[in-house]
Amino acid sequence: MATLLEAQGLYKFFGGLTAIKGVDFHLNEGEILGLIGPNGSGKTTLFNLIAGVFRPDRGSIRFGGRDIAGAGCADVCQMGLARTFQITRPFPLLSVLDNVKLGRAYGSKPARTLSLAETEAIEILDFIGLGTKRSTGAGRLGLIDRKRLELGKALATKPKLLLLDEIMAGLNPTEMEAASNLVIRIRDAGVSIIIIEHMMRAILKLSDRVMVLNTGEKIAEGLPGDVIADKQVIEAYLGVDTHDAQS
Amino acid sequence: MMRRRAWITFCLAALCFGFLPALIRSEYFLNLFLMFFLYVTVAQSWNLLGGFTGQISLGHSAFFGTGALITRLIWTAGVPIVPALIAGSLSSVVLALLVGVPCLRMRSAYFPIGTLALAMIAQITVANLFPLPGSLSRGYLTGYSMLSRYYLALLVAMLTVAVVYWIVRSRTGLALVGIRDDEAAAEAMGVRTFKHKVFALMVSSWLVGLGGGIFAYHQVSYYYSAPFELSWSFLPTLTTFIGGLGTIAGPILGAACFLGLSEIFAISLGEVHLVVFAFTFILVVLFVPGGLMSISTKIRSLTARIARRATRV
Amino acid sequence: MGQTLVYGVLNGALYGIIALGIALVFGVMRYLNLAQGSLIILGAYGILFLFHLGVDPFASMPLIAFLLFLLGGALFWASFSRLIALSEAGRIKNSLLISFGLMLLIDNLATLLWTGDERSITPAYSGLTFGIAGLRFPLIGCVGVLSALVIIVALHLFLARTYFGKSIMAVSQDHEAASLMGVNVNLTCLVSFAISVGLASIPSALIGLKSFSPTVGIQWFNKGVIVVMLSGIGNINGVFPAGLFLGIMEAISVYFFGAPYREVTGLVVFVLVMVLFPKGLFKRQEL
Ligand SMILES: Nc1ncnc2c1ncn2[C@@H]1O[C@H](COP(=O)(O)OP(=O)(O)O)[C@@H](O)[C@H]1O
Ligand SMILES: [Mg+2]
Repeated sequence: MATLLEAQGLYKFFGGLTAIKGVDFHLNEGEILGLIGPNGSGKTTLFNLIAGVFRPDRGSIRFGGRDIAGAGCADVCQMGLARTFQITRPFPLLSVLDNVKLGRAYGSKPARTLSLAETEAIEILDFIGLGTKRSTGAGRLGLIDRKRLELGKALATKPKLLLLDEIMAGLNPTEMEAASNLVIRIRDAGVSIIIIEHMMRAILKLSDRVMVLNTGEKIAEGLPGDVIADKQVIEAYLGVDTHDAQS
Repeated sequence: MMRRRAWITFCLAALCFGFLPALIRSEYFLNLFLMFFLYVTVAQSWNLLGGFTGQISLGHSAFFGTGALITRLIWTAGVPIVPALIAGSLSSVVLALLVGVPCLRMRSAYFPIGTLALAMIAQITVANLFPLPGSLSRGYLTGYSMLSRYYLALLVAMLTVAVVYWIVRSRTGLALVGIRDDEAAAEAMGVRTFKHKVFALMVSSWLVGLGGGIFAYHQVSYYYSAPFELSWSFLPTLTTFIGGLGTIAGPILGAACFLGLSEIFAISLGEVHLVVFAFTFILVVLFVPGGLMSISTKIRSLTARIARRATRV
Repeated sequence: MGQTLVYGVLNGALYGIIALGIALVFGVMRYLNLAQGSLIILGAYGILFLFHLGVDPFASMPLIAFLLFLLGGALFWASFSRLIALSEAGRIKNSLLISFGLMLLIDNLATLLWTGDERSITPAYSGLTFGIAGLRFPLIGCVGVLSALVIIVALHLFLARTYFGKSIMAVSQDHEAASLMGVNVNLTCLVSFAISVGLASIPSALIGLKSFSPTVGIQWFNKGVIVVMLSGIGNINGVFPAGLFLGIMEAISVYFFGAPYREVTGLVVFVLVMVLFPKGLFKRQEL
């Protein structure tokens, strides 16, 4: 299996705070990598480094063989790397359809014409279950639909690699089940995925491999079953950050 | 469907305004309509940047004034008006590239005061460089025809509306409204946001520069700094917000209301229309972010609902 | 040159006081009040009105300050209070828009009430100067510097020593944390907005004694906002030195480029600062 994404010696400082501390990892093509860790451990920051929001202060990130550390968000997206935001970011004044259409018109493999983009956007909306709400204003969606739309917007850019940041937070068990199945279908369509999630059950079910961050450092990596039995991981969740593990 | 209706409206408007001078001979009314076309040009071009791209500019007087200044200087030097107008509007684009683009690098919440500062710099500088009013010489005055002003202003206004409409419906337009709604999210979906903002600014300043050229062609005598006055920045902001930010019809509606009110009050009370407009503006920002246009769509959907209920009964 | 510098310092002190009001609301709420200059001019008309009734401008200042304070509270209650819940960028942008409308409203109302003519308040002492070491000092300008110093020290003590001042500082650092600690955020914002408008009364008097007309408010606002940007956002103690800096810089530019370009100097610096430091003085990187 070829390596799609590879990061080495990543560091990110915010003033005096070291948000990411010497993280190395890689992702194979067609793989789902679970990323877990207590609140504030740097998961979202790691996504921001990969997606080009921040330039890493040290270290390299290679995506499909090219160095992308410090490339802008738009460039990274056009290379085929899409992300969802933990706090969803729809375009509130646009319709649901236009939200997704924007991804088909730009992104990594833009549709040739705008009407083609529209047709393909409708397909994506049907796929994520928003087909009937395509003309609703995105600012008026409820939480679950906002999560769906966030996923749809990312998918619309036709990524090779998808970064999912807590898309299941706030869903009930049935909705979570549906979301897990959606993630698997996306992977089966040939998209590699890194997924941040707090719900262990979902992570165990979905991930081929799991990586654990704690205060910016990678403390464990491996098969899901092995990682949750790891002493350091249990300590990180239960010993130090009891409150986070509960919440 | 939508496109065809817009086309028909556009052609009808062109026809109506085109034949209007045949029906109305009054210089006063031709003047009034010319001002309407000018306001539509200024407001609609502002709307591309402020309404559709979300970059509220308080500096459009600088681009309007530059268009006026250069057009006037070239035209009164003996060049025909059309090339002068083109040169004038392009110089507005040059100014936008030199000083407006750096403003786009500011945090976008500060864009309004940054551009306001630029407009003030431009006004003071021009007032110092050209302290005397520019009047048309005898030769230009004898050939002065109101009709040619009227038609050129109409042409520029139609061009502005058409260009903005066309951009907004294109792929680029989709990116622009995306930037307005959430810049970081647009960037994350592969839109090069800075490039798009620069594009919107360039087109906007080009169109408003054409408007400035019309001003220069129309006015017989004025201080060169007059089109640089801040009111040329405030006017499009007010009218577009009140008419409906980010809609094609909004600025047109706003300009019509503004002109109508100012004509009504001009006879009796001087600047009352500005008081009314400023107050309405505050109300719109606070309570009706979509302006008059959103009120009209609300009424339309309400009547549609009532009609549907009536037919069901 | 020495005389130019004297005028620079005197003007700078005035800029400092103007900036104080703008800095206070910007620091506490991230509101940019474009109408501050117009409110100053409104105060000047009030002082002029009382002057015609025989009241000395400095004697009427407290009354005008109180009236402006009430007006500020009312404005906040009616409009600006609705923005508190927005994001920081949303607060800057919307407060700017509302105050833009307010500015046009006040300016045009003033034109209707008092015409667009230039006015000035002229008590017997208005032209007095005195000389020290060969330099001339206009009396009113010096009173301005003194009152600026007094007000800045008073405001500093108010913010640092009183319970209410401390709650203003708490809100300016973190709305949520302040409200968790039991500070009434809405009331604090209302009072600090009202104070900032009340503070306009001092420049009202000083500008009133020079000259003013309904539409010059925006120019004075500009001086204030330049000073706020130069001093660093939320840094109230830096406002006075930054005001002096702008005043002296203008004076020097007059010396080199002539009086017509005095206004341009500050504006150019302002634009340069905003372009070269687009993140402003905010430390936190934003997503
Ligand atoms: N833009 C930022 N500026 C400053 N500090 C930040 C920023 N983003 C995140 N941080 C800090 O970095 C740390 C990691 O945050 P984050 O990556 O969001 O954690 P997680 O997603 O694992 O909960 C936190 O302490 C957070 O406060
Ligand atoms: Mg996170």
